[in-house]
Amino acid sequence: MKRLSRRTVLKSAAAATAALAYPFQVQAQAEPLRVGILTPLTGAGGNDGPRMLKAMQAVFDEVNKSGAFGRKIEITVEDDQTNPEAAVRAARKLIEVNKVSVIMGTWASAVTAAVAPVCWESKTFIMTVSGADPITLLPHQGFLVRTQPNSRLQGTAHGEFVASLGAKRLGIIGIQAPFAIPTKEYLEAVMKAKGGAVVSHVIYEKDKSTYRSEIDQVMREKPDFLYLNGYAPDTVVVLRDLYRANINLGKFCQSYAVPQATLDTIPPEVSEGVMTGQPSADVEGSAYKSACDRLGLKEIDGYVAQATDWASLAVLTVAKAGAATGVALKDTVRKVSQGGGTKVYTAVEGLKALAAGKEINYEGASGPCDFNEIGDISGCRFRYMKVAKGKLEFLKLV
Amino acid sequence: MEVAQLVLNGVMAGTVLAVPAIGLTAIFAVLRFTNFALASHMTIGAFAGFVANTTFGLPIVPSLATAFLVSGFFGWMSDEFVLRRLRASGFVTTAIGSIALTIALENFVRFGFGNQMRGYDLPLRRDWVIQGLRVSPQQVENLAIAVVVVALLFAFLALTRTGKAMRAVADNPMLASIKGINSDTVARLVSFIAMGLAGLGGMLTGLDTTIDPLVGFRTILSVFAAAVVGGLGSIPGAVVGALVVGIGEELSLLFLTPAYRTAVGFLAILLVLTLRPRGILGQRAY
Repeated sequence: MKRLSRRTVLKSAAAATAALAYPFQVQAQAEPLRVGILTPLTGAGGNDGPRMLKAMQAVFDEVNKSGAFGRKIEITVEDDQTNPEAAVRAARKLIEVNKVSVIMGTWASAVTAAVAPVCWESKTFIMTVSGADPITLLPHQGFLVRTQPNSRLQGTAHGEFVASLGAKRLGIIGIQAPFAIPTKEYLEAVMKAKGGAVVSHVIYEKDKSTYRSEIDQVMREKPDFLYLNGYAPDTVVVLRDLYRANINLGKFCQSYAVPQATLDTIPPEVSEGVMTGQPSADVEGSAYKSACDRLGLKEIDGYVAQATDWASLAVLTVAKAGAATGVALKDTVRKVSQGGGTKVYTAVEGLKALAAGKEINYEGASGPCDFNEIGDISGCRFRYMKVAKGKLEFLKLV
Repeated sequence: MEVAQLVLNGVMAGTVLAVPAIGLTAIFAVLRFTNFALASHMTIGAFAGFVANTTFGLPIVPSLATAFLVSGFFGWMSDEFVLRRLRASGFVTTAIGSIALTIALENFVRFGFGNQMRGYDLPLRRDWVIQGLRVSPQQVENLAIAVVVVALLFAFLALTRTGKAMRAVADNPMLASIKGINSDTVARLVSFIAMGLAGLGGMLTGLDTTIDPLVGFRTILSVFAAAVVGGLGSIPGAVVGALVVGIGEELSLLFLTPAYRTAVGFLAILLVLTLRPRGILGQRAY
């Protein structure tokens, strides 16, 4: 029998070590998931962006800690300043310098409309909260999904709510934004069906210190209810000017225009009776409860819930696809977000199910997260609130 | 009646715009550059007034005085330590430096106060209706404050020795220096007063709306338009320019949708610069 030489033993040992280490090497060498978080930390969206950012980071932290992903997650954060030009510059930097495969967090529709072409041209996936109809109608080739209901879902739901309050002659005053005209059209359709009408519609410019003349214009047709379709800085000015002008009609705003933080800045008599509506997080769902626990909060709003869902979906999609590219995200996202697989409610739970060879269907904190072919969600709930003495009070969930 | 209401709204908006516009034009008259850092000084003034009003419970007029003093101090310091060094490199360098400075200062405010909107502790009053015209008591007060401040400034420039020295430097820096006027002292003073006015304008804007770190940035284009239309470098011109921009933007609503209101300010700039390149009142400081 041939004696084992020292050299042979060493060679065998090295080979055995290499063989044992092989799976780990594969894991360690797997392309990291590079995520670009592009969200408004300043500007009109500065109230929502930082909370969305925390929600996304919390999900990625939880995934990293669990060790179930097998890839590094590299996050780069940029402020889109709620400004399309700044956002496009930041998106180019994220794509070209940081080599991200997914951008998540854009808020204003004008910002998303500007950033989306940069994304699809570079095969980068984008997940957003912007609701304007034209966004998913862009030729994005599947590189875009949004968890926010579009203008049709929102306009129709809001119209039905306003009509249920007895409004017959609706006046709309809102900011120049991609959702301005579509929202008006859907409100008009609902009002007509309910025997009412949209009697006046004024689109104003952002960043003005007064909207007195615009209010005079919208009031000329004597509406009996007002729909304020703006962002927080301008809606506050409109509310103050309405109060000064002694106009005491019912008023409805998007919830992002008058969050509690904004209400705290204006005298309570100015906001008294204002109704707000927002796409509701799925408050009874298990994903919602997990998101609250993860952030240490009693309740979270729709934006935080949606941010939780983007981060979870990105991780699950990459795990399912076995690749961390924009194309893999585009091709695979619907294989984890919908279908007949096992329902999972968090990213870690989903990763474990995938590792066990199961098909999954992620049910998110913001809702079922089922996307149609153009990237819109199929439906969602709406939560209505009313302002009383400067505080938001829950009205109903529809 | 509609035209009268629009003109009235324009006068109210224009008068508040005039206060920071005077600051911008005064700096141009004496230091010969456009100081875009005015935007962040409007923000600093608005927040200084906010602290005086809500934290220390001061009424509006002392809060406005605080806004003036604090933003004036920041204006003096930023000129002393940043812009003065750039001025030797020329107009363009200094103007671009002032843009960088304004972004830095705006973020300084954001760092201290966060991004959320804030409001002054001020009861909101209903409009007065006089002969069918609506006017807000707050705007009338703002108008009165702006008029008093502008009158004080004019008296200062016309009647005091320091005011005359400032005008002399603005008219002819070389001659003023031969006469023994210290141009550095005048530069410091003009930075203090101009940025003080910016801070006052920032707080007056905030009284009508709410404030956040972008309050100055939102207004700077209209302020710039007012100063250019009136004649960059002319203090009465800034007042006239502000009124032209304010009233022009409002009257445009008769034939344009409100979404294009700001375009009117810039059309006014194009028109005035084409027909009268020195602005309505020319560039003579006073």
